[in-house]
Amino acid sequence: MAHGRRNGAGGRLGGFAVLCLLIGVAARASAAPETFNTALPVARGEFVFREQFVYRRASGDSTPADRELEVLGAVSVLGYGVMPDLAVFGVLPVLDKELDVTPPAGGRVTRATRGIGDAQLFARYTLFKRNFRGGSFRVAPFAGLELPSGDNDARDALGRLPAPLQLGSGSWDPFGGVVATYQTLDFQVDAQLAYKANTEADGFEFGDEARFDASLQYRLWPRRLEGGVPGFLYGVLESNLIHQGRNEVAGAEDGDSGGTTWLVSPGLQYVTKRWILEGIVQLPAVQDLNGSALEDDFTVRAGFRVNF
Amino acid sequence: MARMIRLTALLIAVLLPAAALAAPARYQLQVDGLACPFCAYGIEKELKATDGVTGIDIDINAGTVTVTMEEGAAMTEARAAQVVEDAGFTLGAFNEIAAAADATAE
Repeated sequence: MAHGRRNGAGGRLGGFAVLCLLIGVAARASAAPETFNTALPVARGEFVFREQFVYRRASGDSTPADRELEVLGAVSVLGYGVMPDLAVFGVLPVLDKELDVTPPAGGRVTRATRGIGDAQLFARYTLFKRNFRGGSFRVAPFAGLELPSGDNDARDALGRLPAPLQLGSGSWDPFGGVVATYQTLDFQVDAQLAYKANTEADGFEFGDEARFDASLQYRLWPRRLEGGVPGFLYGVLESNLIHQGRNEVAGAEDGDSGGTTWLVSPGLQYVTKRWILEGIVQLPAVQDLNGSALEDDFTVRAGFRVNF
Repeated sequence: MARMIRLTALLIAVLLPAAALAAPARYQLQVDGLACPFCAYGIEKELKATDGVTGIDIDINAGTVTVTMEEGAAMTEARAAQVVEDAGFTLGAFNEIAAAADATAE
């Protein structure tokens, strides 16, 4: 039996990108986006560490299974400036996934898994930059690999957990894209195009993911700048347009997976010379998912960054 | 008494220029691209690793970094440009400030 497709209660999770939780939770800097990358520099020899806590909920299932999904995550990111234009990043998530479902036989069942998810390694290179007084414009392509560090064979009393509920995909998945950043003392705009090619492992393959992200960060305080380096409070508004292809199980497409989602996300970010505190809520504005794929209610992200 | 006064005046005339010459050098770097607090740390870290640097004052609104050197030390424009570039920015201008010597003269 092809695992991940049907294995008792909760088998049909619909697989909408529980793993895409991780992509774009990457690096750097400054008044950078909270849900994806930035092109702002990491100085040579500088480290940036970021920790982001994530809570995601998906419910409102119209099928008899009445699925409810909760995911808690702590995503750690370490970035290093190899050269002024080249930075490398490592991402390691720790996840706690829980799915409540009503099986065909009745009752209510909880299926859960906890542990390290799939890590990511990637590099970002500044291809173009124009520095001017009080601002800059940069364009930086990036590329990397998602590693199968998370368990993809977790089981419970009902058998093997469905693939989207596993901590990892079991596959080596390359990804890449390009991010552009325009920054002034008053605001910053970032935009990113990214693509992840999910590969097959143990007869299961998540659909590829393509995304277009945009972010506006506007300095709310202080209203007037004087000397020194004061902390900046930014109001943040981000947009994530994500399309995921259908999953494949033993070469056959799963009609209840994949689709397109548009998230609109308001947030706040306080930036000092040495640390950043930030928080954002991702709200689904549009969800056009295939079949009975489970839709998101919301995702909350909060965390901090430090440089050293 | 008159001899004492002449001697004192002579000492002041000799020591004053010497004090001015020994005043720490200060430089003002115009940093193009610097536009937010978190980015400023990269420049500060590089400068702290530079021999002779005793003080760093960043004005993010003006986009300037004022560097104070220890007595007898100097910074070159080439070194300043390297520090700024290593942080991902561009050196827009490099000027030596005479304020420390002026303060001594007063």
